Amino acid sequence: MTYRSVASPLHAARAGAGAAYCLALGAAGLVFQHPLVLGALAVALLAAAAACGVGGALVGVLRLAVPLALLVIVVNALVSRNGLTVLLRLGELGPLGQVDVTLEALVTGAVMALRVVVVVLAGALFAAVVDPDALLRLFRRVSFRSALTAVLATRLVSVLARDARRLDDARRCRPPGALPGRLTVLRAVTTGALDRAVDVAATLEVRGYGAHGPWPGSAREPWSRHDLAIAAAAAAVVALTVAARLAGIASFAADQRLVVPAGTRELALAAALVAVALAPLADRRGIAR
Amino acid sequence: MCGRSAIAAGRRAAAALAAAALVLPLAGCGVGPGKSAASAQLVITQDFGAHPLAQLTNPKVGGADTVMRFLERNADVTTRYGGGYVQSIAGRSGGTRDGRPVDWFFYVNGILASKGAASTRLRDGAVIWWDRHDWTATQDVPAVVGSFPEPFIHGIAGRRLPTRLECIAPGSAGCEAVQKHLTDAGILAPEGGLQSSLAKETLRVLVGPYRALRADGAVRQLERGPQASGVYARPSRDGAAIATLDADGRTVRRLRAGTGLVAATRFEGGQPVWIVTGTDEAGVAAAASALDEGNLKNRFAVAVSDGRAIPLPQDAP
Repeated sequence: MTYRSVASPLHAARAGAGAAYCLALGAAGLVFQHPLVLGALAVALLAAAAACGVGGALVGVLRLAVPLALLVIVVNALVSRNGLTVLLRLGELGPLGQVDVTLEALVTGAVMALRVVVVVLAGALFAAVVDPDALLRLFRRVSFRSALTAVLATRLVSVLARDARRLDDARRCRPPGALPGRLTVLRAVTTGALDRAVDVAATLEVRGYGAHGPWPGSAREPWSRHDLAIAAAAAAVVALTVAARLAGIASFAADQRLVVPAGTRELALAAALVAVALAPLADRRGIAR
Repeated sequence: MCGRSAIAAGRRAAAALAAAALVLPLAGCGVGPGKSAASAQLVITQDFGAHPLAQLTNPKVGGADTVMRFLERNADVTTRYGGGYVQSIAGRSGGTRDGRPVDWFFYVNGILASKGAASTRLRDGAVIWWDRHDWTATQDVPAVVGSFPEPFIHGIAGRRLPTRLECIAPGSAGCEAVQKHLTDAGILAPEGGLQSSLAKETLRVLVGPYRALRADGAVRQLERGPQASGVYARPSRDGAAIATLDADGRTVRRLRAGTGLVAATRFEGGQPVWIVTGTDEAGVAAAASALDEGNLKNRFAVAVSDGRAIPLPQDAP
């Protein structure tokens, strides 16, 4: 999952606005527990990805997130002691003690799994639409070295993955009797990572990193319509989240019995989140093709 | 090659699942809430039974409940750690109170639970007693008398154990009085001498003056106070006095001639032992007369002096 420049409002927006947008949606996923709202956030993220031409990449990430989500559901059902509606009695299961699977534990696990999915999708969208170089320029005023390290680490992941594939291909070309194990490949990739790090350090030094004083600031670009729209969408998501929590909308409880209100307020909140998240993506004026 | 091994693995998994589906019902498992426990009772008190909050003789039960679910159906409960630990009942929390540690403890048929409430299955006829108290003196009160005639009627973990009455002087007035009270409560208890029981899985009721009864290790540990025995009373070695203790384990009163004591404890991991004793024969008779539900209800232990039952631990003056 790496950044690729595509003609879309999110790609056209500055890195700060794009990052705030993804962060707001991910944070909302951590704040809310109501399944309707979490579902709306997931839909908003997938729809935003599709509108920005990276929908396929997010679906690929979803395939990895779903098994993790299922694991969360199963583990919670086995270890949670909450809930009064017993669905399955499993008896004494060693260190887990008396295990009864309740409806409330299953639903709580499903909510936690949905949160995992929302956060993973927000992270994947962030990686796909926010230019890491632009983000580096944004953070270099705050902590240049930390931002540089984070961006280089993200870039080098795919480089090391390609190295590993090449080494594995070479391994399989060896005669059957002399086939080294996967551990050998892993060792070679790890050694290669150190070599790569030295190469990157040498490249940075050639480009003058560390040789001069503080990086000269570049001229600030004015905010474009997409910057404003994306930033406003992020702010609107945060405002909706805060307002809903203060007003007690979309509450969720499953300690003993399921309390999942699904009235007009919850439906309106879910619809509003989807609408504010997708609204700025409808404007495609001024996007380079 | 890969396809055949995957099919073989799939067949093995299916066979394992089918075997589990056949075996699990035999292991007490099943689909749905299961059969409800009959005639369970729920008692909720504070301060060693001194302040009752609820006494439910016909509480709500939903299938094969655990003690935790049984409590949650019948009281306002908050929990922690994924529902495995009771934080508060009826708004009363564990933690500290006036700087002293207090927590909720639960007893099943008068025996301190060895597992968490969420891991303890509710059985037929169980008396579930939740008490919030100061545990400065001891966290471990292994057995209490307040659920009498339990554990003699419905036993422990669904297993009824034989009861044996062990008297210093079989046939004595005190011994016969205890036998009568046990019989009136529906408890069958053959009579014998002290430490005559060879079976470990037996509930013992020991009767006699303290000086003689202390030959039994379970009785002798009372002299070391609640930290050792869980009983808030401390008889003297010569048995001439019984000190009643407060919740801190400090002496409130030192009672002498004619004083009786009814308490329950455990010794070296064995089954609960009930002790009906006194400073002398009059004390034993007084204790024996208190061996009924009316005097023992919701009490951790009871001292008897001047015809009056004193709940233990005793309030400091």
